Amino acid sequence: MDELGIDRAIVCPVKPRGYHLGAANEAVAEAVAAGAGRLTGIARVDPLLGDEACAELEQALDELGLRGLFLHPWEETFRIADACVDPVVEVARQHGVPVLVAAGYPWLAEALQVGALARRFPDVTFVATNGLQLNISGLGQIDAELALADNENLLIQTSGVYREDFLEGVVRRFGAHRVLYASSYPLLDPRLEIRRVQWAAFTEPEAAALLGGNASAVFGLASEPDEPAVDEQ
Amino acid sequence: MIVDAHLHVDDVPALGWKLEAAECVRRMDEAGIERGVVMTIVDAPEVNPLALELIVDACAAYPGRLEAFARIHPWYGDESLALLERAFALGFKGLKLHPVSTLAHPAGEDTLRLIRAAAEHNAPTLFHCGDEPLTTPYAVAQAAAACPDATIILGHMGGYFHVDEAIEVAEEHENIVLETSAMPYPGKIREAVERIGASRILYASDGPACSPRIEVEKVRLAGLAPDAEALVFAGNAVRILDGVR
Repeated sequence: MDELGIDRAIVCPVKPRGYHLGAANEAVAEAVAAGAGRLTGIARVDPLLGDEACAELEQALDELGLRGLFLHPWEETFRIADACVDPVVEVARQHGVPVLVAAGYPWLAEALQVGALARRFPDVTFVATNGLQLNISGLGQIDAELALADNENLLIQTSGVYREDFLEGVVRRFGAHRVLYASSYPLLDPRLEIRRVQWAAFTEPEAAALLGGNASAVFGLASEPDEPAVDEQ
Repeated sequence: MIVDAHLHVDDVPALGWKLEAAECVRRMDEAGIERGVVMTIVDAPEVNPLALELIVDACAAYPGRLEAFARIHPWYGDESLALLERAFALGFKGLKLHPVSTLAHPAGEDTLRLIRAAAEHNAPTLFHCGDEPLTTPYAVAQAAAACPDATIILGHMGGYFHVDEAIEVAEEHENIVLETSAMPYPGKIREAVERIGASRILYASDGPACSPRIEVEKVRLAGLAPDAEALVFAGNAVRILDGVR
């Protein structure tokens, strides 16, 4: 972060070696506490655990101070549009926090599947990683734009996106408020990922929104440093 | 010197993609790239019977800057072969195959026939090699095994999820070359150099829609030794392109 001039970051739990995510959420909370105000944490739960997942999320939001819900359909192996996801999203809705979805993974987190979930919760803000699609032919981009067109409450991150003109097109068509810079570190390299925004054909206000303003608004960082560059990892 | 081994010129209204030679050259200039290899998005003879002409016109507009690869659909038998021969007569430097658009397996007989014809000209075959069925490294490696005298380039070197397999098959087959475009992991370029050597890795961008400038930065972030970086950026591409007869 210091090397790239990044002021703030959203941090998510990684998949722990054990099955349960509770310890990973606690580790994120500890990292946030040690982060000198530069880190904001979000909680990861497995919706397949039902009530246990809801309770875990409640605890993470109420007691650990985490500020959102992170869902990883690929690593927890559930379909993001499945009804099993609804109870944990309802907890996020009741707490007024956003939902970050590890998106673009085939069969489980495709753009229109994420869109279907977002449609069921119009008053929840969903943020999808990887521009909603991981396809190096660009074949997922039309579905991504359809999902964005159908759901005002759905935003995308820039991490690993194939074709920078896709990001430029989303900003032109849907507005700069729909796109957030993210690195997905340590999977991807922030030194490269930040260039997707810095070297794209954005206006200064657009770039500022992507690099910090939007994340500040979505994750409630407004009371923190002015216009920070925010990396969602 | 930098040579970009993978750029596109085409107009595909169905996808909303209009990729012009002028934009390729503008973005090459922006990134300090001297030569680029251009190819269409769709194939000849279907869905565009004039795909070769499109690339001929693009290269003619920028002499010395753009080289041509022919995108040929393998399903059309002798017609496909004749188109490829015509391409080489027109000065094309290689064959490009995208099995998602053609539904032709890399090791299918129709495809192998084209690869072998290209190899007769000492010309490479560039495959789209990503995460989709028909394009994975293990699938393309079947073609490399069947045509050991052909140079097989794995475009995108495995995409998002198949990069380790791309490096693995390159270790197994000396005729496989890895191409870096759009694959998002700088560290994997370094790993590939360490495992197969720098002489079988090509810089490319998949531009102009993918940013050649960002793709150049990606190779630089790999932190290669100067001689290895020079091979990746230009030496290997020049050797391959200039060896076509």
